[in-house]
Amino acid sequence: MKISGSLRSGFMWTLNAKNSILIVWFCIFILVLVFVFPLRRSLTTAFGASMITGKLADGINIEAFTDLGPAFKSIMSFFTAGLMFTFLAGFLLNSFLTAGLFGNVRKDSVKCSSSEFFGMCAGNFGAFLLISLLITLIIGIAFLFIIVVPAAIVSLSETVSDKSQFVTMVIAGSVFLLLLPVMLLVADYSRAFKAANEDASAFSAIGKGFSFAFSNFRESYMMMLLLILAQVILGVIVMLLLPGWRPVTGGGVFLLLIVSQLLFILRLFLKTWRYASVTSMMNEIEAGNTRTIDKMEL
Amino acid sequence: MKIRLVLIIILSNVFLSLYPQIVNLKPLSERITGYKLDVRLNPDKKTVTGDMQAFWVNRSADTVPDIRLHLYMNAFRSNRTTMYREMGGSPGNDEKDLGWIEINSFSDKNGADLIPRMQYISPDDGNRDDRTVLRVLLPQPAMPGDTVIINVNFETKLPSRIRRTGYSGDFYFVAQWFPKFGVYEPAGMRYASKGGWNCHQFHATSEFYSNHSVYDVRITLPASHVVGSGGMLISEKADGNMKTVTYRAEDIVDFAWTAWPGYAVFNDKWKNVNITLLMPKDRVKQAGRQLSSVKHALEYLDMNVGPYPWPHLTFVDPPNIGAGAGGMEYTTLFTSSSSYFVPPFFHMPEMVTVHEFGHAYFMGMLASNEFEEPWLDEGVNSYWEEKIMDTYYGNNSGLIDHRFLKFSDVSSARVSYVTSPSRQLVSNNEYSWNYPHGTYGMMSYQKTAIWLHTLEGIIGTETMNNVFREYYRRWAFKHPSGRDFINVVNDVVRKEHGQEFGPDMNWFFDQTLYGTGICDYKVSGIVNSKYSKPEGKTDTADAEVRAWSSTDSLYISKAQLERVGEVKLPVDVLIHFDNGDEVLERWDGKERYKDFEYKGYKQIVWVKIDPEYKIKMDVDYVNNSMTTEPSKAPLHRIANKIMTFTQFFLSIMLL
Ligand SMILES: [Zn+2]
Repeated sequence: MKISGSLRSGFMWTLNAKNSILIVWFCIFILVLVFVFPLRRSLTTAFGASMITGKLADGINIEAFTDLGPAFKSIMSFFTAGLMFTFLAGFLLNSFLTAGLFGNVRKDSVKCSSSEFFGMCAGNFGAFLLISLLITLIIGIAFLFIIVVPAAIVSLSETVSDKSQFVTMVIAGSVFLLLLPVMLLVADYSRAFKAANEDASAFSAIGKGFSFAFSNFRESYMMMLLLILAQVILGVIVMLLLPGWRPVTGGGVFLLLIVSQLLFILRLFLKTWRYASVTSMMNEIEAGNTRTIDKMEL
Repeated sequence: MKIRLVLIIILSNVFLSLYPQIVNLKPLSERITGYKLDVRLNPDKKTVTGDMQAFWVNRSADTVPDIRLHLYMNAFRSNRTTMYREMGGSPGNDEKDLGWIEINSFSDKNGADLIPRMQYISPDDGNRDDRTVLRVLLPQPAMPGDTVIINVNFETKLPSRIRRTGYSGDFYFVAQWFPKFGVYEPAGMRYASKGGWNCHQFHATSEFYSNHSVYDVRITLPASHVVGSGGMLISEKADGNMKTVTYRAEDIVDFAWTAWPGYAVFNDKWKNVNITLLMPKDRVKQAGRQLSSVKHALEYLDMNVGPYPWPHLTFVDPPNIGAGAGGMEYTTLFTSSSSYFVPPFFHMPEMVTVHEFGHAYFMGMLASNEFEEPWLDEGVNSYWEEKIMDTYYGNNSGLIDHRFLKFSDVSSARVSYVTSPSRQLVSNNEYSWNYPHGTYGMMSYQKTAIWLHTLEGIIGTETMNNVFREYYRRWAFKHPSGRDFINVVNDVVRKEHGQEFGPDMNWFFDQTLYGTGICDYKVSGIVNSKYSKPEGKTDTADAEVRAWSSTDSLYISKAQLERVGEVKLPVDVLIHFDNGDEVLERWDGKERYKDFEYKGYKQIVWVKIDPEYKIKMDVDYVNNSMTTEPSKAPLHRIANKIMTFTQFFLSIMLL
């Protein structure tokens, strides 16, 4: 019953943290805008008064872009460099903002002003950054050993049939996907613990993250799977709705922007629900531990 | 007397086996050469050994002192051969890796030993480490009408690093494997000013120039192997662990075969053509895709070029271990390329199948010289491949047909030409190994295909089809040159369009095939200026003003066009006015600029050069049009989507 209880209280706390979620959305929006706005400018400048943009009505038209010649090359290098920069800046920003979110989605902080939110962000930024870095590193290493190494081995081997190659990669991918919720649990428990224990160091929080994740593994893992499932459903909706939606008028494009941003806010909501549910589950585990200790003392 | 008897027996043996018709009712070609091969595959030594009896008929008026033969497999002897020098890398250092062909005995019809008369020559580059061309001085020169018969015992060692040909484990693709005659070109044939052998070395980038021949081939090999070849199976006899298969092929330019125990065999039929597909057993789900694509190609080329005349066709989708054999053509046998899982929206396997089958026409039947005019083989074939793919798999989606991304086959060729920084480095008319800086593929495949599409845009699709129907009618089972193709174009265009494009189309080929220029037309401006009433002392002012009821909303509008590139082609220009009027103009495209001027109660809104994008050679479609009311919506939409993508990407990638 811990799962539904945690999900329920997590959901309520997330609803209470709606202001914080909007702040997070706004910060990410501004960050991405810094990258996308100049890109949009260079696109409109490059195409100028050409009517080739009509060819883009049916989606991306590779020819229309490659015909830009040198302008296309500079747009592409701006795109890749911009995406990389946004990712790095996003890493820092995300560590900062999740510190606020984890601080918010707790029983004792249902109401949270923006200054309180940013206070929590700043207070735990360093530790959250370290936790994110370490867990990302662990995920990266796991990816290397579970996906990249087997892929390299089977592709270099001359005797492995292509069916075996395919099956190997499917198995490797599945193993990685099954491991991913565990890493997310560790990351979330670590940060939930850190948010609840200001004095704890990042390393001890990660240690706690592992111990929480494995002390109540089956329920934690099932809950994480359910939370991921919710995000996957949203992802499917987004993929069905957005890429094929190709408005041709300014009004249509504006509507697309609004709907896209609403869907992204929903995504942030679901992610925060994950943080909140894991926090709630942590509280349950801690309470259970305390009861056990109490019983022992009796 | 005895010698005569032996001679008669040998001759009748050769001719009986080579001349009777088995595959088709009548010979399709002149059959200047013919081969009878009896060989054995040794799976331990990776060799093919046996006897070959072959003939060459001197159909020229020349007295020919020698014969020349390709010994392609010697390209795998070392990393110093011409093929390895050109492409880099090495066949390996180990005996099991190398490939070679050794002549054990070589005699003429009289039994005279010709081995002392053999000499390895390198007519293309003088490379003494290349033994891919053998010259044999005949004991008596071949007089006009003579038939030269040779008996050869040879051993071919297959290379382990498959490039078109070779072995991997128990997979064999045996191509370019026996001593094969070059083509004797008498004066007047193609570009020959005097008679001589056209027999090039084995290069990294080209494969074929041969006479159409009859092949009778007997192969003995392990019984467990499934065999496919360019011939029709005549018999199969098992003997213990081994079996002997006999094939007959008629009027093809090369005979190749494959053997592997892992093949699954599929049979299908198109009209009277029996189609056989060999593919790895675990790829069976893809058999339908492969078979339908080859039937599309058969149907389209039959309809628009000419009939496929053989009743059999075999194609192979080699396993991963033999991937190096993929994407090759041996007329009635060809290889595709695929893998266990290829998403259905990605039509790469179909494209390779259509392309390699197309070579049955462009090289197989219309046997041009791929060494010297690769464009006439690869380029013409790519043009048809693109037409077939975009016809059967969607006009915008011949290559990729996904909800999020569509890409036509012709666009993919155009993109590769347009984006190549070396697109002006060299003309399109080079020997295959003379293309510098890695431009062989882009030039001989893509650029050629793109200017052929452009030619179609100028003369029309039906005329273009008639050009190829005529090219087929005149040149199938012969050896056309690029000049011959151009002559066909000139004749058909003159017949169907009179003098519309001038006395001939040479101006087109001079710029595209023989030239290095690019084509780029541009709309440089739209000017709508208010009509200014006559002022001062003008003599015509009264009449001018009287002609217009009101001069208040009268405009002088100009569409300003420029020719940026060197190539001059006639182009359509579509001009749209604010009152809905549209004018289609024709510009011969010769001057550096052109203004179309209009006077009336209307203003130009937009101008499009080549509105239907028929001039595929134009390297920049962006500047082909201009509007006074540009729509930014599609670009803003793309920017929006990049933004949403980036937001979700960050949210998913960051914890
Ligand atoms: Zn080809």
